[in-house]
Amino acid sequence: MKRLFVVALCLLAATLLWTPRFADAEEPIKIGVIVPLSGIAAQGGVELRDGIEMAAKEKKTVLGRPIELIVEDTRVKPDVAVSKAEKLVYKDGCVALIGVFSSGVGLAIAKNIDKLNVPFLTTHVMTTEFYGLHPLVFRSGQLANDQTAVGNVKGILATPDLKNRKYYVLVHDYAWGHDGGERFVALAKENGIEVVNPDFDKAPIKTTDWSTYISKIKASGADGVYIVLITTVIPVFTKQADEFGLFENMRLVSAAAPGVTELEAGGKACYGIFGASCYSWDIDTPAANEWEKKYWEMYKAIPSDAAAHSYVGAMNLFNGIEKAGSTDPMKIADALRGISFDGPYGTVRISAKDNCMRNEAVLTETMAAPENPYGAKVYMKVLRTFTPEELGPPE
Amino acid sequence: MQTLISSGADIVFNSLVLGGVFLIVAIGLNIIYGLSRVMNLAHGSLYALGAYFGFTIVGSGLNFFIALLIAPIVVGVFGLLLERVLIAPMRERPMIYTLILTYGLMFFLDGLIKYLWGNETRFIELPAFLNQTLTVGSISYPSYRLATLFGVAGIMGGLSLLLGKTKIGTTMRAASNIPEMVSVLGVNMKLVHMGGFVLGCVLAGLAGVLAGPLFTVYPIMGHEMLISSFVVIVIGGLGSLRGAVLAAFLIGAVQTLAEFFITDFAMVVVYMMMAVILVFMPRGLLGEGKFE
Repeated sequence: MKRLFVVALCLLAATLLWTPRFADAEEPIKIGVIVPLSGIAAQGGVELRDGIEMAAKEKKTVLGRPIELIVEDTRVKPDVAVSKAEKLVYKDGCVALIGVFSSGVGLAIAKNIDKLNVPFLTTHVMTTEFYGLHPLVFRSGQLANDQTAVGNVKGILATPDLKNRKYYVLVHDYAWGHDGGERFVALAKENGIEVVNPDFDKAPIKTTDWSTYISKIKASGADGVYIVLITTVIPVFTKQADEFGLFENMRLVSAAAPGVTELEAGGKACYGIFGASCYSWDIDTPAANEWEKKYWEMYKAIPSDAAAHSYVGAMNLFNGIEKAGSTDPMKIADALRGISFDGPYGTVRISAKDNCMRNEAVLTETMAAPENPYGAKVYMKVLRTFTPEELGPPE
Repeated sequence: MQTLISSGADIVFNSLVLGGVFLIVAIGLNIIYGLSRVMNLAHGSLYALGAYFGFTIVGSGLNFFIALLIAPIVVGVFGLLLERVLIAPMRERPMIYTLILTYGLMFFLDGLIKYLWGNETRFIELPAFLNQTLTVGSISYPSYRLATLFGVAGIMGGLSLLLGKTKIGTTMRAASNIPEMVSVLGVNMKLVHMGGFVLGCVLAGLAGVLAGPLFTVYPIMGHEMLISSFVVIVIGGLGSLRGAVLAAFLIGAVQTLAEFFITDFAMVVVYMMMAVILVFMPRGLLGEGKFE
């Protein structure tokens, strides 16, 4: 009887020791996706989510475990985003956070990263404050403000129609807008480009009527406009500016690429927007074409830069976890430094120096689209390509 | 000199257009409050609903002017259902009940809009003749914005006739000022409340279609407009129609001037003005405001 009891005890112990490992192998790796699904940037948030979802479906497993995405809506509000991040980490047990469509939101989460203690990879945050901000904070997505400013200034100097113009600068009134405005004004000054309002106008994010700003631009004597406005708002601004006849003699350069859906809705009023960005569906490479085909098959939507950024960012994150061989935050962070992924806009490498990506980018101009599989009427035509070294920052 | 004239004209017209849109939304809100003492927090969402109905009607190939006629009626019918099903049963309860109810309704309508039309920003297509820039000398201004001014004037004229020259209007004004007396005289107050709510909703819908081509159409477009409308009715005096007219154009002018000259602090100026008026003129600019 005693022997039977010992055998039963051993069997029970063996079962208990074995079961968690078995369960662990089946337990999904949870990734917290923080995107705006309501509010001013909701459409961009949907595209970010779709890009991450596409990467997860393609990657299927990490460390032999299925990937589970848990999506939370930030409403583009920093306080909401922080509480959602806490919920994702503490309650849901996410091992990493990805997404974010706003520098203000991104910085708010980054400030709490010690407490959250998970790697946080942003795919749509452009503020330069992210360079080397924290060992657990990464950027792999849209170009940062300094890179965009370099691209746009190079673009202005190389494009005869943009070169000898006086620029009026209009930004959205929050961290990214201020940073983007300052970067452009400083770089423009260095390169002999005249800016008529070096202190630039800061429009509240909730601005819907741009008429007064447009009147100010008209009265300023400028014949070029540099905008640092949230992508979804760009067509709203251009549509109103077009009604005022602003673009009859003026050219528009944008720090952020306008959203593809809004470009379609804005129509002809959205022609003639210049800007440096990572991705346009006009990029003609086998990798870009293949990704666009898959994206179209999955979502029946025009391939957007937000989706491309988040897809690449998610792939870098998944591969980083795989490379780390563990869900330990610091091990993942170490693995992410220097990692790269070949995707729809070339090789995107996360710098080991400052945790932010370096990649090729393009200067584009929006115009009437040629015949295309997506039925798009407006597109961002690629005018030239920048190497990662051209855009910097140096490593 | 030409720039000065052009900028001056822009400021004047921009102020009037902005004030005009504020006015139509705020008047609707004020009528609902004045007649039934319901502070309708879903009013901004009804404004958005009007814009989306307008977008759908124009998108289906019909003329913008047909949208301007049909969309407000559809919002009015929707308002009638809301009033009968949700608001009327709450009428005898303290105002906080309808306040919370309409607050919830606002989120419901926002969700409904997102479900039906998606998150994308929408643009209402205008007839070609309204899609131009009119130029007189050194002044050039979008033709639709000028047309909006005529539209606002027309709506206000119609409303003045309705409230001032018809029996329904007289009853409504009386019910707003001395509801107990009107009730004693045998007027069906249920009908008055219902009529006031529907009229307010129609105005919200009308403002939505008018403003759609100006400010574009997106799911939460009503939130900001609701806040601005509250500022208008607080400055003009709760329930005061004449006060609302004055306040709407005053805010339109102050906001436009502040945006032009001290851009970064424009909204601070508007809210500071509201705070000062609340402290020194709690019944609004004309002293006609009503309190519960």
